[in-house]
Amino acid sequence: MSFLILSQILNGFATGMLYALVGVGLTLVLGVLNLPNFAHGTLFAFGAYFTYTVANLTDSFYLGVLIGPLLVVLIGFVIESQGVRRLYAAHHDYQLLFLFAIALILQETVILIWGPVGFSLLPPKFLAGAVDLGFTVYPKYRLALILFTATIVVALYLMLTRTNVGAILRAGIENREMVKVLGININKVFLFTFGLGAYLAGLAGGLATPIWGLTPTMGFDILPISFVIVVVAGLGSILGAIAAGILIGLAQSLTTIWWPEAANVVIYLIMGLTIILRPQGLFGSR
Amino acid sequence: MISRLSEKLRSLRTMGLSMAGAAALATVMFLPTQSAAEEEVVILGIWPITGPYADMGPLLDRGVEIALEEVGYKVAGKKIKYITRDSETKAGTAARRAQGAIDSEGVKFIIGPWSSGVALAVTEVAKKNKVMYYFSGGTEDITGKRCHKYAFMWAANAWTAMDANLKIFKKFNPDAKSIYLFVVDYAFGWTLQKYVEKLAPKYGLKIAGVDRHPLGHREYSSFITKAMATKPDAVYMINFGLDAISAVRQLYNFGFTPKKPVILSWSAGVEELVQMDPAMRANLQFGTNYYYTVDTPGNKSFVDAYKKKSGGIPPGYAPGAGYGLMKMTLLGMQKANSTDPKKVIQALEGLKGKNFVGDFAINGRNHQTVRPYFVARTKPEDKMANKYDFATIQDISSTEQPRDLNQCQDIGGF
Repeated sequence: MSFLILSQILNGFATGMLYALVGVGLTLVLGVLNLPNFAHGTLFAFGAYFTYTVANLTDSFYLGVLIGPLLVVLIGFVIESQGVRRLYAAHHDYQLLFLFAIALILQETVILIWGPVGFSLLPPKFLAGAVDLGFTVYPKYRLALILFTATIVVALYLMLTRTNVGAILRAGIENREMVKVLGININKVFLFTFGLGAYLAGLAGGLATPIWGLTPTMGFDILPISFVIVVVAGLGSILGAIAAGILIGLAQSLTTIWWPEAANVVIYLIMGLTIILRPQGLFGSR
Repeated sequence: MISRLSEKLRSLRTMGLSMAGAAALATVMFLPTQSAAEEEVVILGIWPITGPYADMGPLLDRGVEIALEEVGYKVAGKKIKYITRDSETKAGTAARRAQGAIDSEGVKFIIGPWSSGVALAVTEVAKKNKVMYYFSGGTEDITGKRCHKYAFMWAANAWTAMDANLKIFKKFNPDAKSIYLFVVDYAFGWTLQKYVEKLAPKYGLKIAGVDRHPLGHREYSSFITKAMATKPDAVYMINFGLDAISAVRQLYNFGFTPKKPVILSWSAGVEELVQMDPAMRANLQFGTNYYYTVDTPGNKSFVDAYKKKSGGIPPGYAPGAGYGLMKMTLLGMQKANSTDPKKVIQALEGLKGKNFVGDFAINGRNHQTVRPYFVARTKPEDKMANKYDFATIQDISSTEQPRDLNQCQDIGGF
């Protein structure tokens, strides 16, 4: 049994790090723009589909993961600059309806471009197959995924905590009126934040393709999990989103050992307990 | 007093005239509707347009369309009005919408949905409303313990299917001793698991372990780790669609397949295989109710018609089932020369013949369509004649479920 627990901890980290990427993106947008981005899941899906397309065209998974998420950033820029920006002053209901409509439009666009039937993308040859860790045989790609996403998350954390851009974003999360008063172009901050959120969603989508494959509805599958992460983390908490992503991944993974049927329920159980016991979230202050 | 009485009479007369007028108007309005209703038969296709099997709904519907086009939307002297509703792969929703369509559209025949769990709800609606129902799926209960006079099953019996899968696996892997089961946790999965456990010893196979997972599960790593620890000779999957594809993908990532075979015991065929990379499906065996290379004249014309609608993609089990369900329903109407559900049911009971999947017979005792089940093995990429040349059919089995295993004690009357 211990080999299974260790193996599931690894799996929990692999999925948890993907959740963390998606969760941090959503948290940034929610924190800085005060906007619950319902299109975040479909940006995840577009990341996967762009990665798949670029990887097939160039015959390189690495180029796919490099270019695919950047194309998602372009979609993010269009959504923010042409749509969301006009609704900042509007009531939350209008923002929600707009983003929900965008999510539906994007999902149908996936079907129009790539069709209703899903695809599979293999990991690159170097990362194909499994490696014997002594206690279990484990896919090389998942090990690489844990290392790579951990690097991205650490780099992101350092960017947010050690750079001027990061300071502006954190200030925006705390008090965006103050950022405006300091003479910073808030439109640029919003555009950058939305683009960064889209990039993280797209990157997670691209990295997830060899594990989860591609289906047009994959965006709507990840969306509820992203919001659970935000709630468990605490609104606007970047560190919280990372921790909550890993926590959800581990909880889901370990639950499948003893009670597979409850693997999805446990996510919402954690969210419910957080709301009851610590409404501000694990790392939140408001 | 008199004036009050005459006033009352006047008012009654006015009311009477109004009522007569309303009745006349209603008669005038109703007559054309009634005559239109008499000239058409309404068939409901209840398919998953949204939800876990949303990708299958349009394909099922496309198969139905081809069957209807073949008869020019006319049967037994009547026009066919074919309507659809979204099951959402939710039992409650499907039952509610089927009932709504019966009440508002005058539905007399229902085909679909796609999920066994949902079908068990729809079959009760059909029974209550005395509407004929044809289903294709994995649960044996439709023609087993929940059988009734109005329900029929098109898919091969679960026992037949599992027996065929195990037989072919053993034929190509004579040294195999054990299999590990991944089972989707609802009516469909439970039925098939029961038969695999019963039949495995007949082929000298031991069940190394069983893991049940919920419908729509995408992460199989814990099951794969557990399965690999027991060193089985194959992973035998009792799941479907994206669940099955996700599991195969991850079995490949963990290095289980292609070293060892994976059995998709109840596969959609083309619709699943097309979503897998050739490397992933290099060592697959799959059992299916329909594969497009079945060598019958009826199948050739169906495949040609389907390819014209799909841009050259051959049909898998979903369009095959849609086509098969509608063909059998229409055949019943043609044999009965009527669209009265009771007469159609009587015409179908005990009917034997040939159709696009081969020889068939309808068991009058439980309404199971006894028909071929196909077991195929995938081809290596370099042996594929074209990108859809996925597999070769290895066996066609029509063995009927032994009577003592069937739980339909009494199908009842109308």
